Amino acid sequence: MNARVRTWMLGIWSTAAILYLFIPIFIVVLFSFNDNRGRFNFTWNGFTLRHWAHPFRDPDLVTALRNSIEIGLLSTAVAVTLGTFLAMALVRYRFRGRGAIDLFVFLPMATPEVVMGAALLALFLVFNVSTGFVTILIAHVMFCLSYVVVTVRARLEGMDPHIEEAARDLGAGEMTTFWKVTLPMIAPGVAAAGVLAFALSVDDYVITSFNAGQTQTFPLFIFGATRQGVPAEVNVLATMLLIAVLLLMGLNVLLQRRLSRRDASGGGAEAVEEEPRPMVVTPAPSAAG
Amino acid sequence: MSDREKIESALEQFFADERLSRRRFLGRGASLGLMAGGLATAISACGSIEGVTKRRLGALQQAAAGVNHPKVPIGTWEFSNWPLYIDKKVLKTFNQRYGGTVKYVEDINDNYEFFGKVRQQLQDGAPIGRDIVVLTDYMASRWVSSGYTMPIDRKNVPNGKNLTATLRSPGWDPKRQYSLPWQTYATGLAYNVKLTGRELRSIREFFNPEWKGRVTVLSDWHDSAGLAMLMRGIDPTTATVDRYLEAIDYVGQQNSKGQFRRFTGNDYTTDLTKGNVAIAMAYSGDVVQLQSDNPNLRFVFPEEGAMLAIDNMMIPEKAAHPYAAEVMMNFVYEPEIAARICDYVNYISPVDGVREILLRTDPGVGRNQLIFPDKATLERCHGYPALSSGDELLCNQAMAKVTGA
Amino acid sequence: MSAISLRWRRSLLPWWFMAPALIWLIVFFAVPLFNQLNVSLMSGNADAGYHSTWAFHTYWDAIRTYHVQFLRSLEYAAIATVIDLIIAFPLAYFLAFRAGRWRNFLLLLVIMPFFVSYVLRTVAWQLILNDNGWVADRLRDIGLVSQHGRLLATSTAVITGIAYNFLPFMVLPLYVSLERMDRRLLEAATDLYASRVTAFRKVTVPLAIPGIFAGSLLCFIPACGDYVNAALLGTSRQYMIGNVVQSKYLDVLDYPTAAALSFILMLLILVGIALYGRVLGSRNLMEAAA
Repeated sequence: MNARVRTWMLGIWSTAAILYLFIPIFIVVLFSFNDNRGRFNFTWNGFTLRHWAHPFRDPDLVTALRNSIEIGLLSTAVAVTLGTFLAMALVRYRFRGRGAIDLFVFLPMATPEVVMGAALLALFLVFNVSTGFVTILIAHVMFCLSYVVVTVRARLEGMDPHIEEAARDLGAGEMTTFWKVTLPMIAPGVAAAGVLAFALSVDDYVITSFNAGQTQTFPLFIFGATRQGVPAEVNVLATMLLIAVLLLMGLNVLLQRRLSRRDASGGGAEAVEEEPRPMVVTPAPSAAG
Repeated sequence: MSDREKIESALEQFFADERLSRRRFLGRGASLGLMAGGLATAISACGSIEGVTKRRLGALQQAAAGVNHPKVPIGTWEFSNWPLYIDKKVLKTFNQRYGGTVKYVEDINDNYEFFGKVRQQLQDGAPIGRDIVVLTDYMASRWVSSGYTMPIDRKNVPNGKNLTATLRSPGWDPKRQYSLPWQTYATGLAYNVKLTGRELRSIREFFNPEWKGRVTVLSDWHDSAGLAMLMRGIDPTTATVDRYLEAIDYVGQQNSKGQFRRFTGNDYTTDLTKGNVAIAMAYSGDVVQLQSDNPNLRFVFPEEGAMLAIDNMMIPEKAAHPYAAEVMMNFVYEPEIAARICDYVNYISPVDGVREILLRTDPGVGRNQLIFPDKATLERCHGYPALSSGDELLCNQAMAKVTGA
Repeated sequence: MSAISLRWRRSLLPWWFMAPALIWLIVFFAVPLFNQLNVSLMSGNADAGYHSTWAFHTYWDAIRTYHVQFLRSLEYAAIATVIDLIIAFPLAYFLAFRAGRWRNFLLLLVIMPFFVSYVLRTVAWQLILNDNGWVADRLRDIGLVSQHGRLLATSTAVITGIAYNFLPFMVLPLYVSLERMDRRLLEAATDLYASRVTAFRKVTVPLAIPGIFAGSLLCFIPACGDYVNAALLGTSRQYMIGNVVQSKYLDVLDYPTAAALSFILMLLILVGIALYGRVLGSRNLMEAAA
């Protein structure tokens, strides 16, 4: 098997894997165009654009979606910040109690959601905290933290700590070292953790339902709507969300391509493939600066 | 108390010693909430979890007799309901006609879950911010018997006279002093005539070996055990808990024989529509809608009888705008308004005179036997039982064993 | 003096880094969970109330009654994790080394399913796997499903659902750890071993170990506690421990048993993590020595 065939097979496998992830999404998008006759929307009855005509007609649905996105962004920001620092401490330092903390971080992932949601609600009640937007946020940060730590760790682990030491030896303070050396090195891990945290937050039902009070989120709305049949507008909004995210990312890719064209002579696919890994280039110049 | 002291005392409660562990600070007084909440709201930090108490019906009726809510401006008030349970234009009409603003919140996704969210305030006698909530029978009866609801001043609800006769006196609120039905729906037999090859009439079909493995039944025992009892000629509304336990046991035996494909919530709809099962225990209002997707589907009120679930409007205790709530109740009991709601949700309306209007405005709905069953059929519909909370719990346990969780 | 204080400050440093996250986890996770530990030792019933009695027997009863569901949870989660590893490794490799500037875009595609609520996703799977659907028919044609067999409401459907649900959890950490690798190292290895396969086995895989470890955990641990897939794609014969906990909490109001079941699950998982970490770790060492 030569290299070319292997690359092809890798590409085909990857495409198939991504397609597999998209199978249900395809159905969801498809049914946003379904000319459904009754309230239920799972039998194909022909193409229509009528659900797309007034996607924001139901203000409660729109509020629920907006709450979900806001909570998702905020909890991601907090969880990624806190979790990255925790992961760094766990990987970079040897200290007493490290092993225990290491295992402790896994615990939230291992706790069944009902118990976690209910236990947290009991806490809020004891302290007379009224549930709502803020308590959802607290809960989401809590359960996202573990995922962030594990993901960022996977990046940090085995990464050469000498680079950071070199930076410090060259006179960079802890902060400078972090911003100029460590962060660029772990950026892909942090980004992946952020993406994961956002996804977890936007999709959570059980823990949210305990701690939501009168605040409605997208998953809560949909769950409640199953009694009457989930309206096709939900499919439309979900599709719009997908398209918005894809467009943003697509734009980002194009923008980067432009920038890299301007910066580097040449460019093109090969150039990117040969792009040096950040860990090799970053440290020396920035630490000196 | 300073903030620090507050935190310290709270922490003390968490890590309490023997002396403190006997304190019960989450369950003051009646904590029926524990029963229904099912949520950890019921769990005190380090002490005990309270049991259940109930107020006597007589005392409740007496308390309701002298109620008087004077006429005041409507203002801004709040109505909590299930998602998609009203044509929202109806709310606009209400605001235009009576002034004020109704804040309509669709935050009831599940009876137990909703109760879990507001249980603490109710137990503390604090307002929950809503002026109307809509809950299903078994939950509504718990609220009423625990004193979590305010009596309705029926003088402000003259249209209450349109309430259909069969719904006027449930066991838990015989004079409808605390509740008024919002919508009702029947649990019965749905089948795919293409798969069964013949029309079906009886509850016996759920347990007929001919359909082995091609049947779904509801995991809520109010429905599945209720129907099993009707099959044996027992009235589920007045039956004792022992009868319910027997019926649940029977359902369990049938399940271990492999009679049922699975137990479902309202997710039976996909299995039924897609032809995965021939027979499903189903809600009438759903099948009206499913038929437009699959014309082979039928729903019958079985000859032995059907179960009837009622979603009730109630005014929570300490609500700030009881008068506004009563004006709304009166408003939705106007046949014209009730017809608009019925036309949207397609459930069985509790208001008399709706059918006549819909026969004019939307004959398809008006003539539909599932939305407007005839009088003989309605008489075969039986309400949920008013079991004590402890008995409800026993049934929940028995059913959980049957469904395998 | 200043040397001591410097060392003191240095030893405090990791704690400064960890403090915010740890405090968050302690206040909003550990304290409520400690409360649940107390609940798990209560006895009584929901009608009469529950009281602290150090009822350790709840744990034994829970294990005796629900060991089937425990084993099933571990089994389903393990199978799904292996499936995900097989699907994800080539994908992560592709993302790390062949995706070029589209890498971030493709990464985003991987987590797209989460933007569609789980209710819609699972209903979509119900439609895809339904008895009379295209997928079931094709599988019957090639004999993977018997003529009157079905896909939906079987363990196959539940495991497929779980594997689907947690695939992104496997891909992301794998990608993250692969992407870090220096490709020149791989090239050198190829030169050294002359065989791509050997290079892959001796260099790529060992270096990817942190990613495999993290990915398997992110996939396996939440999968053990999952209940949605068993509830919607399976029957009671596929119920996992998550379904039991859910029912104990919401229907039966048996809080002590629910809490005890959760703690047993957590303990099993922690032991599993420790063992797995040891196995992977020693393997890693062996590979390095070889």
